[in-house]
Amino acid sequence: MTLSVSIAHSMENFTLNAGFTAPPGLTVLFGRSGSGKTTLINAVSGLLTPQSGRIAVGEHVLFDSSQGINLPPHRRRLGYIFQEGRLFPHLTVRQNLSYGRWFAPKSAPRESLDKVIEMLGVGSLLSRRPAQLSGGEKQRVAIGRALLAAPRMILADEPLAALDEPRKAEILPYFERLRDEVEIPILYVSHSATEVARLATTIVVLDDGHTTHQGSAAEVLGDPEISPAGVRSIGAFLTASVAVHHDDGLTELDAGGTPLFLPRIPQAPGDTVRIRIAAHDVILARRKPEGLSALNTLMGTINAVRPGSGPGAIVSLDTPAGRVLARITRRSAAALELAPGVPCYAVVKTVSIAPRNISGPAVSS
Amino acid sequence: MSWLGPEEWQAVALSLKVAFWAVALSLPFGLLTAHALARWEFPGKQILNGIVHLPLILPPVVTGYLLLLTFGTQGPIGGALQTIGITFAFRWTGAALAAAVMAFPLMVRAMRLSIEAVDPKLEQAAATLGASRLWVFLTITLPMILPGILAGAILAFAKAMGEFGATITFVSNIPGQTQTLPSAVYAFLQVPGGEDSAMRLVIVSVIIAMSALLLSEMIAQRIAKRVAGT
Amino acid sequence: MPNRSMTLLHSLRRCAALAVMGVASMAQADNITVFAAASLKTALDEVAAEFTTQTGHRVTLSLAGSSALARQIEMGAPADIFISANPDWMDHLETNGQVAQGTRRNLVANRLVLIAHGANTEPLTLSTGLDLPALLNGGRLAMALVEAVPAGIYGKAALEHFGLWQAIAPHVAQTDNVRAALHLVALGEAPFGITYATDAAAQPQVSIAATFPAESHPPILYPVAIMAGRDSEAATALLTHLTSPASLSIFTAHGFEVPQ
Repeated sequence: MTLSVSIAHSMENFTLNAGFTAPPGLTVLFGRSGSGKTTLINAVSGLLTPQSGRIAVGEHVLFDSSQGINLPPHRRRLGYIFQEGRLFPHLTVRQNLSYGRWFAPKSAPRESLDKVIEMLGVGSLLSRRPAQLSGGEKQRVAIGRALLAAPRMILADEPLAALDEPRKAEILPYFERLRDEVEIPILYVSHSATEVARLATTIVVLDDGHTTHQGSAAEVLGDPEISPAGVRSIGAFLTASVAVHHDDGLTELDAGGTPLFLPRIPQAPGDTVRIRIAAHDVILARRKPEGLSALNTLMGTINAVRPGSGPGAIVSLDTPAGRVLARITRRSAAALELAPGVPCYAVVKTVSIAPRNISGPAVSS
Repeated sequence: MSWLGPEEWQAVALSLKVAFWAVALSLPFGLLTAHALARWEFPGKQILNGIVHLPLILPPVVTGYLLLLTFGTQGPIGGALQTIGITFAFRWTGAALAAAVMAFPLMVRAMRLSIEAVDPKLEQAAATLGASRLWVFLTITLPMILPGILAGAILAFAKAMGEFGATITFVSNIPGQTQTLPSAVYAFLQVPGGEDSAMRLVIVSVIIAMSALLLSEMIAQRIAKRVAGT
Repeated sequence: MPNRSMTLLHSLRRCAALAVMGVASMAQADNITVFAAASLKTALDEVAAEFTTQTGHRVTLSLAGSSALARQIEMGAPADIFISANPDWMDHLETNGQVAQGTRRNLVANRLVLIAHGANTEPLTLSTGLDLPALLNGGRLAMALVEAVPAGIYGKAALEHFGLWQAIAPHVAQTDNVRAALHLVALGEAPFGITYATDAAAQPQVSIAATFPAESHPPILYPVAIMAGRDSEAATALLTHLTSPASLSIFTAHGFEVPQ
């Protein structure tokens, strides 16, 4: 089911004027804090009534100011996963999970309770109260609760923002499972490029209340024009398959014929993985370098050099593995005479391709 | 039972009956008002808040007088109710009404505080899961505010047990109908040498009030623990 | 040396003389506190104002129910003069030694009346044959607390005198003071009531149906006395003023009676 949104809403010092269509899959609403993401998702959920516009999931119209339609939140059939979890403290985990099922119409397709419990690994927590759960456990229950409410669509507002790094790493795979194993479309708000890179099917970029770009993850993240989260998060998005696991702890990937080495990943040989290479982890050279400790050298042709406002510049390189971005100084770009069409090598340290930048088929842990 | 005379026990029994009904019947109104003040937005909200608190600020005798004017047999509401068989004037029902009115602000305050303490985000979460406003109230808000409701009810009960000024002004002192504990204490104090009888009744009042308070504390703590999930 | 001490002594004497004169001049305008039964209010205001005009002494009136006032005096309230609405409370204070010897006397008397709602009620004859419950017609007889408040005590005594108490007792609505009973009848909440004649006179919405004969109840006397240890010149002067014929005529103008 496609979510189509087009709304306008003015508040004291902020105006939202945004529109997008989200195809099935996981759509990320990507933007800086203050760009209007939470306002937008609250409008979709019904917790906020925009001043004008239209929101529809498939052919179900949730809001249309020109027709006077404004469904209250409890009738929109959307499962919302909040940043703080918001589990009901006076109910057990099992009761929290089942809460939404009670209100779902009989005709709605339901996920099996057991399947969801198994998928999120919360079987041992069922009789506990939220106060006795860790942060990660709470978010897993929150995901299950939203899913079990038989929603047409799942909304998630920065669900990992309140967690520390290890917890984020723990929960991210559950969202991947959600995207891959459940047919329900997901609208996911985030300002973290890492989450976006791993999860997004589609990205909608929000900047200062306006939707500036929309496209597939690779398109949006690979385009240096779009740096809503700051230049630091710019990176390349490559698809590769696992070639072989070596004995010395490295995995070799096949990226369009080019071998890429990284620390051992759990996926099996033959599995397809998506990897992200941050632009600031890439070094450029006019000649193939030798005697370097870096194992990954990609040969490619420059297709764009975009100077930034400061001393930096982003160089975009087409390689057999895909488009790679490098962030270097303008001085170096000038010194190396980098320009579109110039052949160039991109060097990436093995350990720069961190596990959290990899997403692939689910792996039972 | 020679420590208190039969008329005195009658006053105690009447006070318990009056206070019980005053609280029981005003509980739903109190809850509704507390919820409206805590969660709804509507024009005139501050005026409602002011009216609810009037009995706290007005001298009880004034409140009693207003009740007399409104609910007495000659009053607009009292007269109308009399035609359908409900009488407040000079009856224990009037004493209950006076007690309920005087206790209402205390009840509403306690309940409102506990409703405001419920995180509205939890109520929002419940709404997104499909619960209508009523179901949100029943399944989320109500269980979490139970300690507050209890506190409000007990506070109101204690206040109702001790209510005097409005009661005697509205329904006067009629043994068996409106002579509540405080009325009896007052009457004893009016007579030289009546202090002993008055003190006996005071002791009974204190025992009842203290027991109610202790009981409510225990129950409230139990409930609060369950709600917090600990 | 002697000269200096003589000068010192002389100065001291001068200061003392000045001080005495200062105190004496302060003593010219005293403030006297009077605790009095509430039913005396309007009359007492007039009498006290007269006194202040004549002597310059200020009078502070504290009006409430006689029982409350007596208890306060018992606990040390700073009343110079007490006027009670019934002798019992004055007796009580006298027994506890709180009344200045020889200063007690009866200030005024009052009459007890049966009042009815409305400006022109039919007069009733008080006799053993009077069917008061029937007259009430389902309503109530408003009286002050019959065991505790003087007006209620007198009222019950008067009804007992006519043998009417037993029949009427279940229909009585007792109020905490006689003015509240008056209000109930004025509003029409109670068709009849028993109050003082002075109260009925003050309230246009009630009228007197019958006056209880003086012999049907203990005399309604308002004793006045100076409190023990407070019989200053000014207080004594006020007592004299209160019991003067001029003040008495003010009281009778308000409906009170000369005490027997």
